Amino acid sequence: MQPVGLVTTLAAATAAPPDERWQYLAILAGCLLVTLPLELVIGARVYRRPRRLIRAIAPAVVVFAVWDVIAIDRGHWRYNPSYVTGWELPGALPIEELAFFVVIPICALLTYEAVTVVLAAVRRRAARARAGRAGATRTAVGGA
Amino acid sequence: MPEYTIAAVAAVAAVIALEVRVFHTGLFRRAAYWVSMGIVFAFQVLVDGWLTKLSAPVVLYDEAGTTGARVPWDIPIEDFLFGFALLTLVLLLWERAGRHMRADGS
Repeated sequence: MQPVGLVTTLAAATAAPPDERWQYLAILAGCLLVTLPLELVIGARVYRRPRRLIRAIAPAVVVFAVWDVIAIDRGHWRYNPSYVTGWELPGALPIEELAFFVVIPICALLTYEAVTVVLAAVRRRAARARAGRAGATRTAVGGA
Repeated sequence: MPEYTIAAVAAVAAVIALEVRVFHTGLFRRAAYWVSMGIVFAFQVLVDGWLTKLSAPVVLYDEAGTTGARVPWDIPIEDFLFGFALLTLVLLLWERAGRHMRADGS
């Protein structure tokens, strides 16, 4: 009986359609996950400056949410009900869109600050290399 | 011109004007900005490409609202102007907030 039960369970699990309503939110969660090392490993210091982060994102969220609501109203675009939760804010704005306007700017800020950190390190290294070469030249001249 | 196309072009112009006329953060002269936008653009192709793919779209566009040009894959080209405007606005606000906070000593 037990193997049959297991087979039935597996069959039911594979036959059941995957719950695709979470797809849009899952993509956004993936974006946050992929960019997390920029903060934790490279030291972008975006999450660690929450007040500045809010001041950077809040006005953009408002402007682009208004744009989104107008675009939905005028029929420029709509969302596939299969891939969104169906939870909506006033103006028929899916919560996924609000999440998008928070998540994607965070990813961009992490990228920008991480690039800033990396470029500064590259410039320091180049400056040290120049100083090293200049030092070596002086030594060579002094020795001769 | 279609409405989404007009809105997207206007948004880019508005964000550039905001920096040039009002904020003066110097963002457009920073190498980090242009390198970041290049990286972000590459990831936008992946994420937006998934959201707009016509085989199973998450977002469906009214073709009358756009030029109809979709590249690469099925991404309406207007989306790249939309993304540029959104992320440049955020980076400008971030730079400005950083300047203000340093001036406040906070």
